Order: sequence, then C-alpha cells, then structure tokens
Amino acid sequence: MYQYSDFDRQFVRSRAAQFRDQLQRNLRGEISDDDFRPLRLQNGWYVQRHAPMLRVAIPYGELSSRQLHVLARIADEFDRQDTGTPRERGGFGHFSTRQNLQFNWIPLARAADVMDLLAEVDMHGIQTSGNCIRNITTDAMAGIAPDEDVDPRPYAEILRQWSTLHPEFAFLPRKFKIAISGAREDRAATGWHDIGLRLRRDAHGEVGFRVRVGGGMGRTPSIGAVIAEFVPWQHILVYVEAIVRVYNLHGRRDNLYKSRIKILVKAEGQAFVDAVAAEYRALLAEDSLGSAHLIPQAEFDRVARHFSLPPAAGAVAEVAPGPVPPAFGRWLERNVHAHRLPGYRAVTLSLKRAGLPPGDVNAEQMRGAAELAERYSAGELRVTHDQNLLLPWVRADELPSLWRSAREGGFATPNIGLLTDMIACPGGDLCALANARSLPIAAAIQQRFDDLDELHDIGEVDLHISGCINSCGHHHSGHIGILGVDKDGSEWYQVTVAGSDGATLGGPAVPGKVIGPSFAADEVPDVIEALIDVYRRERRGGEPFVDTARRLGTLPFRAAADAARRTTAAALAD
Amino acid sequence: MRFVTSGTPPWQPLAADAAAREHTVLTLAQWRAHRERWPAHLSTGVELPNDTEIAAIAGDLKRWQLVVLRFPKWTDGRAYSQARLLRSRHGFGGELRAAGDVVPDMAPLLHRAGFTSAQLRDGESDATAHRALAFFLAGHYQADANTPQPLFRRQPA
Repeated sequence: MYQYSDFDRQFVRSRAAQFRDQLQRNLRGEISDDDFRPLRLQNGWYVQRHAPMLRVAIPYGELSSRQLHVLARIADEFDRQDTGTPRERGGFGHFSTRQNLQFNWIPLARAADVMDLLAEVDMHGIQTSGNCIRNITTDAMAGIAPDEDVDPRPYAEILRQWSTLHPEFAFLPRKFKIAISGAREDRAATGWHDIGLRLRRDAHGEVGFRVRVGGGMGRTPSIGAVIAEFVPWQHILVYVEAIVRVYNLHGRRDNLYKSRIKILVKAEGQAFVDAVAAEYRALLAEDSLGSAHLIPQAEFDRVARHFSLPPAAGAVAEVAPGPVPPAFGRWLERNVHAHRLPGYRAVTLSLKRAGLPPGDVNAEQMRGAAELAERYSAGELRVTHDQNLLLPWVRADELPSLWRSAREGGFATPNIGLLTDMIACPGGDLCALANARSLPIAAAIQQRFDDLDELHDIGEVDLHISGCINSCGHHHSGHIGILGVDKDGSEWYQVTVAGSDGATLGGPAVPGKVIGPSFAADEVPDVIEALIDVYRRERRGGEPFVDTARRLGTLPFRAAADAARRTTAAALAD
Repeated sequence: MRFVTSGTPPWQPLAADAAAREHTVLTLAQWRAHRERWPAHLSTGVELPNDTEIAAIAGDLKRWQLVVLRFPKWTDGRAYSQARLLRSRHGFGGELRAAGDVVPDMAPLLHRAGFTSAQLRDGESDATAHRALAFFLAGHYQADANTPQPLFRRQPA
C-alpha cells in the first residue's frame, strides 16, 4: 500500500497543527461556532446528537494493521464517556460505505490530540466532511481481483493528493464524491457518485477513464451520465478539474437540496457537457497552469511502485479442493473470494454479526482484526463499500487456520452477500440528521433471519437501511431499501424494492421503487419477511431476489407487505 | 498578502460626482456606464460580482490595475475560481483583492488562488490572518498562483 513520503507526513502534521490552532481559538471564543463549523467539518469533526463525531479518512479503503492498532487506541482512550448505557460509553468505531471510520464519543476538547495521534500513523480527517472533494473510494478488491482490467489505486492516490487542500475547490456548492473502479464488476457503486470513473484500455492497450457525472442519492436519486468515453489517464486531473470548476462556478448555492452536481447536470443537460468540454480544452490550450497537472509517467511509476505485491507474496501452490466440514465450507463459499494470484484468496471479515450494529467494531475487535491481518495478510486490510473488512493477501493453505482464528474473533459469520450482510447508517441513535433509528431495525431483521440454512436458501440480497433521506445507508440502491422518515415526531419506514448499486447481480445502477405508505418500526421485520416469502414462492430456478422483484413488479410485494401491517393498517383503510 | 481596510489608500470608491480620478474603484455596472469615457491613463479598479463570467470581462482587464472579488458568504467558493481564471487563464497581473465576508482562515486559500490583498470583515484580526498563512511552509500538492508546478513536477521522482 501507499507509504507516506516525508512531504506527505509533514503535510498531515501541518494540518494537525493548523486544526489545533483553529480549535483553540474556538474554545477561547475567538472564532464563533458558526465560523468554526466549516473548518472543523473539513477535518472530519461533526457535532452530533451526543458528542462530536470524527470521521477518519481511509483513502480508497486501504488500512495497515499498524494504523488499525492506533484506531483501537483512540477508541480505548478517547472515544469514551462515563455515563449512559454500555453503548453510550463509547469505545467503538463505525466503518462507513465510503470506506471511512467514524468515532462518536470523543470530546471536542481532545480533538487536536486525536489528530496528532492519527498523524503519527499517516492518517487524518481531511475533507471527510464539508462541501469539498471527499475521500476517493474504490473497489475493495483493487489490485487482487481476477476480473480487474486496471488497478485503480495509483490513480486514486494521485487524485487524493491533487484534491487534498485544493486551493480552489474547498468551498463547493455541496459535498463532492468520486469513486473509481477498474474491474468488470463494479464494487464501488460508481454510478451513484458525483464523479464515477471506470478505468479501461482502448484498442491499443492505452489506459483511460470512462467518466460519469451527476450520480447521487438523497432526495433526488440519480445515476451519473457518461460524459466522456475515454479520457487518457495522463489527463484525468485536468479533466476532473474542468468538471469541478464548472460546478463550482455554476452549481446552485441558493437551495441546499438542489446544490449537488446532479441537479446542474440534469438542468443543463448537453450544455453542461459542452461547458466541461470547453473548459477542458481551454485548460490545455489557453491556461498557464492547465497542463501542469498532466500526470508524468515518472510520477505514475513512483506512485504505482507502492502498490506492487507485498514482499511476502511469493508463488504459492494452489490447494486442491477436497471435502471440508460444512461450517468451514459455508465460510469458504460466502467469505472467501478468488484472487488474481494463484494460491491466494481474499477473505472478508464479516462485521455483520448478531447483536452488533453493521460495520461497528470496538477496540478489542480492531486489535483482533489487526492481528489477523498481520498473521495472514501481510499486515494489510481493506474497508469494503458494504462495511466489512477484507484481508487481501491470504494464502489458500492458511484458510483453515484463518477460519478458526476469525471465528474466535467473531469475524467469521458466513453471510457475505446475504440478507444479513446489510448496509446501515448509524441512524437516530447517534446522528443528529436522522429522522429515525436504523440500528434497532437492523437488529430486528438480523434476529429474524438468524437461521443460516434459511439465509443461504434465500441467497444474495442487498438490504440497505438509511435513517434519513441523506441516504448514508444507500437505501436507494438496495434490492430491498429501508428509509427512516419522521411523521408527527414518530419514526416510520418507507420500503423500496429492486434498486441496484450497479454490480452484476442487480444490473445497472437504479433506485428502488417504493411499495406503499411507510410502515411502523415494529412492522418492518414482518414486512421484510413477507417480501422474502413472495420471492421464495415465485422465484424461478436460481433467480436471485432482485430478478424476481424486477420480473413481478412491485404489486405482489406491496400486497404481501400490506398484509403484514398492524399499526398502520387502520390508516391505510381510511 | 496584504490586509487592508475599505479606507486604506490609495483606492477610493467612485465619488458622488462620478468624476474620473486616479485610483477609483468602480462597480462593474459603473464601469460599464463610464467605460467609453473613462481615461485610459488612470489607475482603475473594478469590483466584480460573484457570478461574473470572467471570459466576458477579459477584454477590459488591461485597463484595470485592481480587481475586487466579493465573497457574499465566506463559504461561497466561487471567487476562488474567478481568481484562478483571472490569473492563469487571462494573465491579469494587477492587484487582486478579496472583500465582503472575508475571515482570517481564508488567507491560505486566497493567497494560493492569486489574491494579493484582502479586506477582512469588521472585527477580524490581521495578525490571525498572517499566522494562518504560516502552517504549510513545505508547500502543497497542487500548482497554484504562486507555485507554477505541482509537487510531482517540483520533486524528482
């Protein structure tokens, strides 16, 4: 993985010092809370329901065991308070769909100390919030996937550096998210991002990007439109600069809900595409700084060297498949993935376990995962888009041993890709924006579907839960989506079916369709069960849930869900 | 980077008599009204609204020694792009001033976007703004108004 240069390290330390100065001025009353807000946001500090939330950047999801040990130390020593329920006492982190880690209980007065500690292991919270270019995400299988055309990580790192404290793009109309994929399977939901980049090779083998712009969730779910079929890799910073400049100058700033680039793309249509093309041409032809950001081969090579194989990864003989115990077999089937190197596998450590919120890890579990990475995966982990951890460099002959260790650590639930491998935001338990809680819903569904045989029979389903329309839980892209809404001060849940994140299983990215008025919280597990029952009754052959949902349309699902109503039945009859 | 106030000499707004004087700052609307008769030898400044297309006024830049870009809110980032275009697209070499809702913590961005002076909003401290400029002495990743090459062209691979 990428190793910081002296410059990178000095840069992050400078940022920590700058933040400490800003924080102290705020605590002394020299910067008002209103003026401090954008400054702390651009360092990852929100103020949430109970305490500030810190979002730590994990660039394109790559994490070393050394970094994870320090995150564990932060969970232990800083993410703490002395009162409340066990969960309210803190001591844990939450992996997000954008491959970051969030802490919820660190007092703001200790914020600068945490940033110093992060800087010691080349980490920070730069641009993990605010109206700027956020952490650039990619495929958790980058560099190891058998279906990969081009490894996206060197490009992601070059884009990370270019977007970090960019002098012109710190105060865009709204947040701005970029995702990159280089494989045939889209494991980064690129269609749902402000800019979605797909690496490809042209007929001559040259590398370039197909560029989508204007994807996004929220109130107006939208799939990015392709505005360029092939931008040569050397030009990608210049091309992205052209897009972001057009957005910075012309994106709406009068209405928060209409300020994302997707609204500009929709409103302007071809005029937007033409404006980007004109700005790109002008950058290359009429601008004294324009060509400075063309990427030289030497720079690409310097960065790409960091992503060569770990030294330990030598040739390993393939393991002949043989009979295995059923529980191990189930884990091999769900949590172990093919690797581009013979004799190697990628292994998902499931963070979707009964009784624990999706994506959450406490300090002890962080240390446990770090130790597994040290022992089995060259000290490297990846954070996946669906809130799990992945070990990228596991020798196939060590799988039985890893399985036993992962089971001891509580990481071996064989549910990857299945219904209980759900995405969920922290919801109203922690988040000040949320309209409803998502974690009790997630827990109730986990409990309802705790039978592994049944879970495997149901097969692959993307279940996504968001506590509000900001869509951090990606409900729009779920094969089943659940959205928390607030009506008259109580929590209700809208359910959608047949959405897709853009992976092969669900087909091209598309928002799900609503199956009727919102449900009460206590109805949701029954509703999900009713949807699954329709599927099991109607499925043809090996067809997955999402295909059945597309084939049948929403009506049978709506009828089954209505039959599960209790609290909301009367309202529906009116 | 200089920090000024609205009264800092020599620049003055267009006088009530609308007479052409040395070091007058006109609004864009005033400039358009007086443009044809405005003496070419006078040092002249123009304040551009936040939504001005820089390409549309580029033809007049050679007649201006000062351009003022106004921030309606300090978190409105359009003027950074306007500054960038003035400097590196259209070669404006005069004074570029930030005005309006300008706070000390903007200083590093202003400097890098090509501003040479800033009029902080009332009650803000010049000393804090100067200090804000001193955190990243080793520089940044990107090329900017003062550093024509990005890090990857400044350092040997």
